[in-house]
Amino acid sequence: MLIELHKKLKDLLELAVYIKDIKGEDFSSIGNLYENLLEFYHNFYEIPPERISSLINDYEATLKKILLKAEETLNPYEIVKITRHPQRFTLLDILENVYDSYMELGGDGELNIDPAIICAKALISRRVGDEVYFHQVMVIGHEKGHGEEFRRGGSAAPWGNEKALRYMKMAETEGIPIHFYIFTPGAYPIEDYPGAAQQIARNLFYMSKLSVPTISFISEGGSGGAEAIGLTDLRLMAEKGYYSVISPEGAAAIEAKLKDGRPPRELVEKMAKALKLTAKDNLQLGTIDRIIPEPPLGARRKDYDFFKRLKYEMIKATDEVVLQTRSLKMFRKYALSKQTPESFSYFVNWELSEDEKEILIENRYKKYREMTRWAILEPKGFFKSIAQKGAQLGQSIAYEVKYRVLKSSHKTFKKFWEDLASESSLLLKPVSDPIKTVYNLIVGKKVRTKIRMPGEIESESDFYVSPLALQDKTVTCPQAEKYGCPDLWVPDLYGEFCGVCPNCGYHFPLEYHWYINNLFDKGSVKTFNDEISSGNPLNFEGYAEKLKKAREETGLNSALLSFEAKIGGISIVAVMLVADFRQGTVGVAEGEKFIRAIELAKISRRPFIALVHTTGGIRIHEGTMGVVQMPRCTMAVRDYVDSGGLYIVIYDNNSYAGPVASFLGSAPYQFALKSTRLGFAGPRVIFETTGQPVPPDYHSVENALKRGHIQGIWDRRELRKKLFFALLTMGGPNLYYR
Amino acid sequence: MKDKVLIANRGEIAIRIMEACEALGLEYVAVYTKEDEESLHVRLAKKKYRISDYRDMNDLLAVADEEKCTAIHPGYGFLSENYRFARRVVKRERPLIWIGPSWEAIRDLGNKLYMKKVAYQLGIPVIPGSIEPIYNEIEAELKAEEILELAQEEGFQEVSFLVKAVAGGGGMGIEEVKNLEEIRPVFRKLRAYAKRLFGDEGIIIEIKIPVFQHLEVQILGSKHDEYVHFGTRNCTIQSPFRQKRIELAPGFCENISYEFDPKKVEEEIIQHSLNLAKHFNYDSVGTFEWLVTPEGKYYLMEVNTRIQVENEISAKISFIKNKPVNLLKEQIKVAFGEKLGYSQRDIEFRGISLEFRLIAEDTKRGFIPLSGVITKFDYRDYPWLTIRTHVPKDKPYTIPTQFDPNLALAIIYGENFNDLMEKSKRFLNEVVIEGKTFKGEPLATNINFLKEKLSDVYKFLAV
Amino acid sequence: MKIDFTQLTQFLQRFKAKPYKIYPIFTPHTGKIIEFKVKEGDEVKGPSGKWLEKPGTPLFVLEREKNPKLIRAHYDGLAQNVRIELLNRFVEAGELVLEIRHPLTQDEIISEILLNALLVIRAPETARYILSSELGKRLEKEGLGKVIVKEGDELLIMTFMKRETPIFLKEKGQYIIYQIYFKPFELVQAGEPLLGLCPVEDLPHLEKIIQRIKDEWSL
Repeated sequence: MLIELHKKLKDLLELAVYIKDIKGEDFSSIGNLYENLLEFYHNFYEIPPERISSLINDYEATLKKILLKAEETLNPYEIVKITRHPQRFTLLDILENVYDSYMELGGDGELNIDPAIICAKALISRRVGDEVYFHQVMVIGHEKGHGEEFRRGGSAAPWGNEKALRYMKMAETEGIPIHFYIFTPGAYPIEDYPGAAQQIARNLFYMSKLSVPTISFISEGGSGGAEAIGLTDLRLMAEKGYYSVISPEGAAAIEAKLKDGRPPRELVEKMAKALKLTAKDNLQLGTIDRIIPEPPLGARRKDYDFFKRLKYEMIKATDEVVLQTRSLKMFRKYALSKQTPESFSYFVNWELSEDEKEILIENRYKKYREMTRWAILEPKGFFKSIAQKGAQLGQSIAYEVKYRVLKSSHKTFKKFWEDLASESSLLLKPVSDPIKTVYNLIVGKKVRTKIRMPGEIESESDFYVSPLALQDKTVTCPQAEKYGCPDLWVPDLYGEFCGVCPNCGYHFPLEYHWYINNLFDKGSVKTFNDEISSGNPLNFEGYAEKLKKAREETGLNSALLSFEAKIGGISIVAVMLVADFRQGTVGVAEGEKFIRAIELAKISRRPFIALVHTTGGIRIHEGTMGVVQMPRCTMAVRDYVDSGGLYIVIYDNNSYAGPVASFLGSAPYQFALKSTRLGFAGPRVIFETTGQPVPPDYHSVENALKRGHIQGIWDRRELRKKLFFALLTMGGPNLYYR
Repeated sequence: MKDKVLIANRGEIAIRIMEACEALGLEYVAVYTKEDEESLHVRLAKKKYRISDYRDMNDLLAVADEEKCTAIHPGYGFLSENYRFARRVVKRERPLIWIGPSWEAIRDLGNKLYMKKVAYQLGIPVIPGSIEPIYNEIEAELKAEEILELAQEEGFQEVSFLVKAVAGGGGMGIEEVKNLEEIRPVFRKLRAYAKRLFGDEGIIIEIKIPVFQHLEVQILGSKHDEYVHFGTRNCTIQSPFRQKRIELAPGFCENISYEFDPKKVEEEIIQHSLNLAKHFNYDSVGTFEWLVTPEGKYYLMEVNTRIQVENEISAKISFIKNKPVNLLKEQIKVAFGEKLGYSQRDIEFRGISLEFRLIAEDTKRGFIPLSGVITKFDYRDYPWLTIRTHVPKDKPYTIPTQFDPNLALAIIYGENFNDLMEKSKRFLNEVVIEGKTFKGEPLATNINFLKEKLSDVYKFLAV
Repeated sequence: MKIDFTQLTQFLQRFKAKPYKIYPIFTPHTGKIIEFKVKEGDEVKGPSGKWLEKPGTPLFVLEREKNPKLIRAHYDGLAQNVRIELLNRFVEAGELVLEIRHPLTQDEIISEILLNALLVIRAPETARYILSSELGKRLEKEGLGKVIVKEGDELLIMTFMKRETPIFLKEKGQYIIYQIYFKPFELVQAGEPLLGLCPVEDLPHLEKIIQRIKDEWSL
């Protein structure tokens, strides 16, 4: 009896600690209450036993009151603290309590390639009437642990995400659904192979077309780290979870322009609010599908009712995803019928037929294609560019084909594509003849050219000269100390040298116009979707003004330019992330423009090139609306590549974070210009996360190549030539199909 | 305002430019580096600045601005054929007069492939071969086949090819190929080499001319569309690294019998050179280099868009309205926009002249350049002898290690071939250069080599 | 081994009497000194950080062709003989601007003393030197005090009279590369030390000497 009371007291003490940690000492005198409880706890055996029971009851009642009050006044930053609290439930708690049995794969505590990621085969059961049915699922997720150092708080290393991908593939082979649990502050930002960014990109690329139902549950959804296992058919979120583009502390540091040190607490709280990171916010934004309710102040590891609810929700979500691939009638019937955590009305077989798999993937594509679309700012009306119309028309046809024709007859489908291809190639100007000759030369067809026939003498007027060149002064190469480079005369440097130090090859940054004007055939660049502009979907304070300023300064509506162009006569579709507009960060407008451009490349069967003038990552002011551009765009990449498209990415200057960890990093061919800094997180973030400083050349392209992240290093002076040859050598006979 | 010339060079050419400036009544400023403090050009200069490097454009221009110079003379070597420097000199906010041809001419004529292309268009014979860079081995083989056909049509026997990196030069990135089968592997090897060394993969293929004489035409153009020539020179005697050692003017000799009419060939190469100069509006001194075969075929090789080391032998045999010529003075005058004041008809050629390049090099061991201290440099003065040197006669001189170890130029004038040979021999027998290397060994020079080679002058030589 | 412990004591006494070295700072090129960043007696620092990624203390600003260039310290120490009269004057290349009085570190003293103990490869000519590419790679990988070379190995490349001449090890036996005394591509006067080699069999003795210097110096 006494022992039970002692145990109860211990629980109350834990609760008090918990409330104190979340709400702070001053909240409803919780600090004092805790002190008293602690004293009570220490003197437990000296207090007369008859008094103990009533004292405990009093404390319990008080704590309950405080708890309810705490819940009422809960703010977003406190929610962030809940998800990080050691008392919060973890994936291992879920495996114990939600699943009927499980076997961890590739891990036993610390003995794990990455203890921050856990993979397990598990059984989950449901009762239908008197029958109990078992489903096999793959469970993959982050394990935060209850304070153990080696879990790194659920921050997955690159090889942890690689492990996750391996078990996803296993589930796919076995045809069982995957339940993902996201408990991560973010990916562990190191570049060692397979690389933080590149592995996330690889995961996203693969998850786009995983042929099994996938459900994710988010408790702590830290940006790119969350996306690494977050591209799923249905996204559930804990009521007291957060899902955000960046930690509130990180956002505050950026907002306050801090180099090091901690940002002020008020600013952190303000950011937590502005980032719209709660479950409710995310549901409103449409970045998640539903919320799993939690007890006041969040579920802790012993809240068994919560686990029961979670089990029910996971089964239901999986059922729904499966049923949507079957018939709408069944789905409706299921939705209307009464399902309870105790008993389901139906048993749903989670195995999918080949046809159902196709629909599953199609549904997934549609889901992400629609996500954040409501926030796209674009003038409606008849004055849309022809290219855009073409893209939409083509798109609708493509959907038509997949939905109707594919099912009935494969042959019709093929035929249709051929017709479409021939027409669109007529419409969109086919590969021109002179290029064919060059191409023939490369593949080795002997073309008898008469020697001693002088060619045309090139005129230099064709060259676009950077306005940077128009000053009579010299500059010093940043690598002069190391390589003894002479001072460079600016007109030479930014003119003839294309911004490259002729001695050491250091690349000085150049404005994006240089690339647009010098990389492509004269007069061939035609931008489209220019009017799609970045908006302020979160009503983030001050962001609208920043956008306005960026618009005025650059004359652009977003950081992404999309255009058609020709290079050596080869017609291509391209996008460029421009440094001048908010450091080339990606939000809703940029994501949408990217998708539309790559879709245009797909229907017009042209190579697709992404130039990264600079990208600073996902734009934090658009919160998760920005983050979901990662899966959205990567799906479009997958679709394009699978249909035979040639996708080439070229990095320049500073290319970091979300975009690299998704639609750029998933490109089969990635090249970087010399002097580019390429990676997942900058040196400051790495130092803050890992506690280790990184060498100055940590993000150099040489190291990126060494680590296997990119396919080659290019020199800006021969970028046009390199790109042209890349198109010819990698593009296959008609520059599109492999 | 009086004009002031910045002399952006060292050694004997700096001294010759100073003399020319003084003769024209121009002020000048000399520059030097730490290593050259003992050089005669530093001692003789009235106004001078120490700079970090003769190739440092920024130092040169900073000194020019500080001294309010109005013109810059690049001499030969260093920045003389750097069109970017020439361009910067004339395009900067405080422009200077570039004493040399326009930067466009330097660029276009300096680009051997482009020059060859233009020359070909103008009907000037160039060495049979590709005139576009080749990047692909299939193409390379094709070209080689065609070149072979062409060479056979022209009567070449046992043709071999020279595969060259476009960006190469000075004997680097060049390989001889004897038969067609070897083209591909050699091409691949050279392309990789060129990419690594020069960063440009472009390769050209030419036929190799086995036996030839190296002739060059001295041209002068003004800004007023006037063009004259100062005859030809013969520079066939070179070191194994194709550096000139003995030069003669004129290019052909009356005492030698040729299989062709030398007068006709000389006229033709002069005419071709003038045509090309006119095409580029060439407005300074320039040298057009030709290969002449024993059969009398000739091919344009390259154009040197600067004053040549050996310019003075042409000056020695030329007389404008019976007066001696100084090509440096002429070069400076035209750079300042003056008219020539004479035409080709006013130029007469008399006599024969020769130049020896006296160099500290070990001709027995691979012509390696030597450094050390010159303790004695002596020769007898004659009216027919001109010595151009920066080595002081009155005290020991340490040869700097950053530059070619050229010690002196000896220019000899003779009435006729036999007279010239006699004077040349006398000079070589009398001149004394003594010194020690840092290891304490006696310093070798190329005097004996020059003596041996004297018997080869005006001969067709095989490389 | 060319050094015994009596000699060593003498060397150490010499360094104790004058435990610093004076580094003259010259203008790298012509231009106008538009600002002095240090004054007489100021403390300056050379590059620091784990990878020497933090640059040294700014000393003065030399402007040429509208490019103000910050000249920084490469050694720790005190600024002295600052020629403040050069301010706003056009200076030639190689003009002395100030000196840095640099207190010698233990490693530097070891390096200086080892000049008397090691087989020192000296510059045969005033020229620019780099390590041979193979040796450079091995040193980068294994570090000083690890790489063993033998007779006939290519050690250095000398850039001299516009030509590159390899320098080979002429001595018999096996040697460890122990010290590097030059900076790549910098002009080295003839006779100056380039490399310090230690015969493999002498390594224990050398390490004793170094230990002795360390002990003595820390006293």
